[in-house]
Amino acid sequence: MALNLKRKHDGAAEPRKVARVPQSHTVSEPEESENGDDEEWGGIVPPVQDRTAVPPESSAPGTRPKKPPTGEELRVINDAKDLFRSSTFKLQVDALLPNIRPKTSRIPSLDRFLQELHGVLMDLAPVAPQHPLDAARKLIKRGISVPYSLPQPSEDTNWKVAFERPSDITLVGSWPNKISVKGKDGSKFGVDLAIEMPSNLFQEKDYLNGRFFHKRSFYLATLAAGVRSSNLSVEVYYESASNDPRLTKLVLEPRKASDESPNDFTKLNARVCIIPVLSADSPIPLHRLSPSHSNIRISGDSDSAPVATPLYNSALLTALMPKTQLLSTFALKEHTPSFGDALALLRVWANQRGYGDGTRVCVRGFDSLGPWWAALLGLLVFGEEPKGKGARRKPLGRGLSSYQLFRAALDFLSRHSFEQDAAFHKAKNGHRFSPEEYKDHHQAVFVESSSTVNLLAGIPLGSLQLLQHDARKTLEKLNGANVGSDPFVDVFLKEQRDLPTRFDTIIRVDISSAKPRSPSLHSTLDIGSPANDLIASMAALLQQGLRDRAKAITILHHSSSTRPLSQALPTDPSQALRLVDHGPTADENDTTIGEHKAELRRFKDGRIIENERSQVPAMIDGGFDEVVRLPETISRVYTASGAVVGFKGAMLAFDGLVKQLKALNDELPLSLATVSPISEYLRYTSVFSPVPLSDSLAPSLPQNARYQPSMEMILQFEKSAKWPDDLRAIQKIKLAFFERVASALMTAVDGLKATVVVGDGVSTSDIQDNSRLEIVTPEGWAFSAHIWHDREATLLERLISGKNTLPHINVPTEKKKGKEHQEGMDAKELYMRRFIHAPRHHRAVTALNHRFAAYSSTVRLVKRWLASHWVMHGHVSEEAVEILCASFFVGDGRDLNWDPENHTAERASVPGSKERGFATVVEFLKDWKWEDGLFVPLYGDQSNEASSTQPSMATGFRAGVWRLTTEADSEGHIWTMRGPDVMVAQRIRALAKATWTCLQGMEEGKLDVKSIFIHPTDDYDFLVRMDPAVLPRYAQNIESSLAAAGRYVNLPRDDLETDPRPGFDPARLLYDDLQRMYADTFKIFCDPFGGDRFGAVWDPTLKQPRSFRVLGGFSSMPVKKVKEKEKDKGLVVLNEASILREVERLGSGLVSGITVQV
Amino acid sequence: MSLPTSVAGFTVLPIAYGSASTHYIYARPHAGSKKQSPAQTLPDGRTLFLVNVPPDATDRELVLLFKSAGTVEKVVFDFEAQEAQPEDSDEEEEEEEDAAEAAADEPAGEAQPRKRRKLNKPTPPTVVPLPTKPLRRLRPTGRAAHLVFLDASSLARALAPQPKPRPWPASEEPVGLAHYAAQYAALRPPLDVVRAHADSAMELFEFELKQTKKASRFRKGEAVVDEDGFTLVTRGGAYGQTLGGGVAVASKQFQETGETRTRKKKAPQQKPGFYAFQKAEKQRNNLLELKKNWELDKAKVEKLKASRRFKPY
Repeated sequence: MALNLKRKHDGAAEPRKVARVPQSHTVSEPEESENGDDEEWGGIVPPVQDRTAVPPESSAPGTRPKKPPTGEELRVINDAKDLFRSSTFKLQVDALLPNIRPKTSRIPSLDRFLQELHGVLMDLAPVAPQHPLDAARKLIKRGISVPYSLPQPSEDTNWKVAFERPSDITLVGSWPNKISVKGKDGSKFGVDLAIEMPSNLFQEKDYLNGRFFHKRSFYLATLAAGVRSSNLSVEVYYESASNDPRLTKLVLEPRKASDESPNDFTKLNARVCIIPVLSADSPIPLHRLSPSHSNIRISGDSDSAPVATPLYNSALLTALMPKTQLLSTFALKEHTPSFGDALALLRVWANQRGYGDGTRVCVRGFDSLGPWWAALLGLLVFGEEPKGKGARRKPLGRGLSSYQLFRAALDFLSRHSFEQDAAFHKAKNGHRFSPEEYKDHHQAVFVESSSTVNLLAGIPLGSLQLLQHDARKTLEKLNGANVGSDPFVDVFLKEQRDLPTRFDTIIRVDISSAKPRSPSLHSTLDIGSPANDLIASMAALLQQGLRDRAKAITILHHSSSTRPLSQALPTDPSQALRLVDHGPTADENDTTIGEHKAELRRFKDGRIIENERSQVPAMIDGGFDEVVRLPETISRVYTASGAVVGFKGAMLAFDGLVKQLKALNDELPLSLATVSPISEYLRYTSVFSPVPLSDSLAPSLPQNARYQPSMEMILQFEKSAKWPDDLRAIQKIKLAFFERVASALMTAVDGLKATVVVGDGVSTSDIQDNSRLEIVTPEGWAFSAHIWHDREATLLERLISGKNTLPHINVPTEKKKGKEHQEGMDAKELYMRRFIHAPRHHRAVTALNHRFAAYSSTVRLVKRWLASHWVMHGHVSEEAVEILCASFFVGDGRDLNWDPENHTAERASVPGSKERGFATVVEFLKDWKWEDGLFVPLYGDQSNEASSTQPSMATGFRAGVWRLTTEADSEGHIWTMRGPDVMVAQRIRALAKATWTCLQGMEEGKLDVKSIFIHPTDDYDFLVRMDPAVLPRYAQNIESSLAAAGRYVNLPRDDLETDPRPGFDPARLLYDDLQRMYADTFKIFCDPFGGDRFGAVWDPTLKQPRSFRVLGGFSSMPVKKVKEKEKDKGLVVLNEASILREVERLGSGLVSGITVQV
Repeated sequence: MSLPTSVAGFTVLPIAYGSASTHYIYARPHAGSKKQSPAQTLPDGRTLFLVNVPPDATDRELVLLFKSAGTVEKVVFDFEAQEAQPEDSDEEEEEEEDAAEAAADEPAGEAQPRKRRKLNKPTPPTVVPLPTKPLRRLRPTGRAAHLVFLDASSLARALAPQPKPRPWPASEEPVGLAHYAAQYAALRPPLDVVRAHADSAMELFEFELKQTKKASRFRKGEAVVDEDGFTLVTRGGAYGQTLGGGVAVASKQFQETGETRTRKKKAPQQKPGFYAFQKAEKQRNNLLELKKNWELDKAKVEKLKASRRFKPY
């Protein structure tokens, strides 16, 4: 009604305004006041309805609306901006909410059904008191078993169970408050029906030894029998929250009725849960149920001190809760208008992260914790006990928007230490039991307002720690500085339950055959079931073992499910995944862990997955480590030789070389200013850790393991005016410098070899920086050095822009760009990449490696993965991978320049293990839209000024489609200039998808790490096979066991007795040549790490006959005439056979055969 | 059902690669374009134009291939052709060919410009060459070459149809693994050769520099006056004036952007919100802007909604 009124009002007001605006300036003032009036008037409308109250705007979006907004609109707009993150965010929230609520049109049928159910339940016949086992036997004849919990009643129990008509039936929970939120994986809305059991069924002593629960069970079973024998078209099941038989409820799921019965609520996607509750005036004394009371007596140990049964007590108290919970939630909803929406947001957020029901593994303890979320918001709004100095949080009050309330909840979750602090809802008359009592007997304490139950009783601390971690992660996203990305999708829409990207370490335990280390009858009885007890004891053990090395140890398992009525006890979860999230470095090896490991191994089918951080040695499960390691036979040679290997060795060698170079200053015309490394081997990100190849080592290695990587570096001499002002002459001067350095170095250092390399074998340009100095240290480390002369940039720029000596005469730019221009472009591109970007990139990556422990190993894994799928090097450059991986570590780059000592700065979303890093990258690649580009603040803030002064890269032809921008590279194509092109990028996406599916198998325990790195070759048009014996890198092949242990190790080793050739990889050279020569004919792929096959795909367009052209750019053959008379059209087609023959000829000595695949 | 013997005016020359596969070279007598200077490196009448030469072909191999037709004077590969010619042009084929040939001729004509210029100059120092080994140059596939025969009669013989494919000859340059090994060695010449090469190259450079300086009529700091007595106005003098002084030259910044140096703007005469109507208008505009953004946001979310993005699960 208010809505209609409003429209009318607007309709009347607007024409007036339009008429007035052009009149004169003085009119504007009254207009303002009119707006003010509107605002006041709009205030009457309750804010919840505001979002629908915006009158539809007729003007097309984007065009400037003619009329100024009305006061009401203005208020909505301002609200959206001030109370939400942004107005887009608000609109998105509004769009989201209707999707997670039940459809109102379908509710009436449920109401009719509930009425009918009410009638059925009220008409049930009473059952006379009888012995519990007798009663159960009678029911079992009707196919219904009574879910008696532990300790089971025995033959000599002297109390009786009975049934009488319920004294009250109430709709409770979220449904009557209209705050239901759709569950994950299509689970149904729960409509909770509290059935109050008459008080006269119970006695005062019923709190002891589970008698209450037995009576409740029988009551429930009788209800089940009654409902089933009625003519309601529903299926009846038992379900136990958290698999605790004490908390069994009855679930009624609608059967699809054949006739259109009016009370068929199938379409609502809901189910009715029947929960027997205790009335407030029941004879059971509440003071007996404090957390410290012991209410289970075990015969035999009556003399020992009674052990408290906190969980048992709290399970009993739950039977009192539903109604009070309903009332307090209702009060909250009335009090705070935005409560409903905030709760919906919070629950969607939680559901997306596995805190709730679902078909996939869920966080333990949260599958029936619906009331807690509401109580959490209540705590924030009303404040907590005790008031005064103890309370650190002030009550928020009712004025917050739904988003603000949601954020407040996340804030609470991220800051509240569940382990240490108890949270007490503000209660009217104080709390029944003392906080200390709760703290002593529960892991986490959160007592709601009626002070009946600790809502977090039995929830493992680890689950709460994970919740805290998730809240932190989300807050980080919401606080993210980059306005460009939209956090809404990540926070609410995207599922975050995937194990590989969420956890650093995953252990899989089969608990069906596991036994606790110290079985205790008492704890089993307290917890309720042996399986739950086992899980709890394992959690405690891990917690104790890892202590603060892990941020959160969480147990995940499938959520509880319904079971037929004939089954009394819930099926135990057959497996639980326990996940260690982010372990910081471990300093000592804990003995508990050692024992624990032994215990884990005892499990029968040992479904254990562990990807532990490498610093926790007891828990490493290989797989991922193996793929970045040399085969054992090779590494054994190195270990035996005692040479310093690995990144450390390479760094030492580099530092030594720099010292030796600096010592040469007297013998060089210019003194050396700086030496900067630009090799991945010197920044910890090469797939294999670098190894030296000295003269003594070489003979003991097989021919195909003698690859010696050459590590690039850049020499910069002091500035001098003596350099010639000519590009060609500069290159010659560089040669002279190299010669001088080489001879000086060789005389200065004994055993060192230095050669000048005068070209790269491909380029013929004489203005490009082609020459380098190759140095092999006595220990066998190979380096190659380039000289950087900064004048080159200016000269190249001059060459490219074609400035003549008369710059003010504008030459029309249409002039054909000659060969020289192209050469200049190429030379400049190389110059920029090699001398400007590479050193900076190197420094940034080295810094990242020191800052984030898992970064470099993540890069290595990703590189290995891309390489094993044949796209590394040829299509994706190393630097591109490094930048890509860095984006998951640097975040928005704000904390990059922080003090490395400051560990608190670590963000929650930074992967802590290489496996998680790898999974994150794969997940990203799986649906990255590369057109959008990716901005990575790799360098921190300090280099901002550099980007403005940088001359932009020449924008020539570029094939690459990935756009990886950094502060220093706003175009984002420095490292993706040559690829991946569209086809390869799509291929990578497909590979990432397949790999992601593989990684998801982790959840089911079917992860084969090696299979992720095996490349399918079926879709290549032809495969070029090579002889592994002549490939110097074959030892790095992914199936390297074959390389080392197999046939080739025993080959005569003196067949090709040559000096070590650093950086010589004929397969790579052949690959590069083929890629260059046949660029327009086929796309070729290979694994740079010892791949013994090339795969190639023809350009499909060339297979069609096309008319002959001189510059066709591919090897062709004339098309045969179909008919003799036909006119000669001069069509040609790709000559596949001859090309394959050419490839074979080009690779003679390397290629052992070509397989053509159809 | 036979292969055509000619395609678009080119004779098809089948070449047997071993026994299994056949490569096809397209050949035609070279027709020089009209604009070409008379001193042609590719004389008409005895030059054969080849298309789709094997990518690893050497001079020697092509010479051997046409040995039966006659003696080959020289072989010119036109690997630069592509840069000069945009590949996707839809011109007539004939024109395209001409252009291709012309482009091929160009670099050949200017192959050693520097040396030729020096011919009449005294004592240019010679550059000690880096040692070259016979290595194949691997060119992109499907390129063209020119073959100049000694004798015009060879041309007809070369184009005559062959009864069966000619086998592809092999010259002594290494291929495959041996090629890469040889290349690796060739790129690392002895240090003394490198030194000699670099030193002599620098000598030549300095010699040339001296020559060009000598040749230049202009002296540093003096106005450039041509034979008609016109003074060239060019940048380079003091105080932003022309060489030799006198006239001011437009600054670089002006030339590039068309803007003179920006002086500091004077403070505006009036305060922006001096009149009441200005204030009101500003307010109104702000509101309009606000609403516009709101509508834009709404449209964006509507669009997302249409693509069913807001179903979380």
